Amino acid sequence: MRWRDERGAVGGIEVLPFVFLVFVAGTLLLADAWAVVQGKVAASAAAREAARAYVESAGPPGGAEDEAVAAARAAIEGHGRDPGRMRVEAVGPLVFERCARATFEVRYSVATVNVPWIGAFGTGFVTTTARHSEVVDPYRSGVPDGECDE
Amino acid sequence: MLMPAAVLVFVVLGAIAVDFAVAFLGEREVSNAAAAAANDAAGAALDRDRFYADGALRLDPAAAERVGRAAVAAAGLEDLDDVRVRVDVAAEEPVVTVTVSAGVRYVFAKALPGGPRGVRVEASATATAEEDD
Repeated sequence: MRWRDERGAVGGIEVLPFVFLVFVAGTLLLADAWAVVQGKVAASAAAREAARAYVESAGPPGGAEDEAVAAARAAIEGHGRDPGRMRVEAVGPLVFERCARATFEVRYSVATVNVPWIGAFGTGFVTTTARHSEVVDPYRSGVPDGECDE
Repeated sequence: MLMPAAVLVFVVLGAIAVDFAVAFLGEREVSNAAAAAANDAAGAALDRDRFYADGALRLDPAAAERVGRAAVAAAGLEDLDDVRVRVDVAAEEPVVTVTVSAGVRYVFAKALPGGPRGVRVEASATATAEEDD
């Protein structure tokens, strides 16, 4: 004799929409987290390139800063990101002389997706921040003398 | 019951992937900081007294330590825990090695029962001071 009761099957089917919703919400949450990780990688590369470009530039101070910003933009574009969402700032005073420390901070806004039940993170954007610091080569020629005892 | 379990497994695996990416990101951060610190120390910690005495390129360990630590402090590692810096200068070579280690906090793993709170990452970078021809 075969068992023909289908009550268990109906119960299983009822839970499928809920399972699907959990699946979608979980996937979106992970996608958001992954986007933030990628944004941080791009911001980190941009900050590093900005600091490198500044300390390696020929100057003058204003020109060196422009080179730093251009390098950061190129790095962000190289990562396939939108430079319009990036902000580059020098941390502390920028002095273009030997041994001067140049620190650049890059902030990049990552757009996040609205996750069911959880909502968007903040205003729908998560700002990732990265900082990089280097000193101007103490023995480079063509650079004004500076205070080298840090 | 199989489908909910499969979904849960999928989400947990995704969370593990993100946490591993966060750990990798932390490792990159300390690696960048170590590279910048070693580069700075190799340039700014040159032992000038020794250089003017016998022309040898050597690094001053105290200056290398100071410059290396200052570089790591300026590297923006505030989002990492317990950042430790070690600066080693070779005895008779102009070589400096900076090792930076730090704790990285996981995002999702701590939500799982018995899951780890984070992981410790470490990176070293070596720089050599060389005379330009």
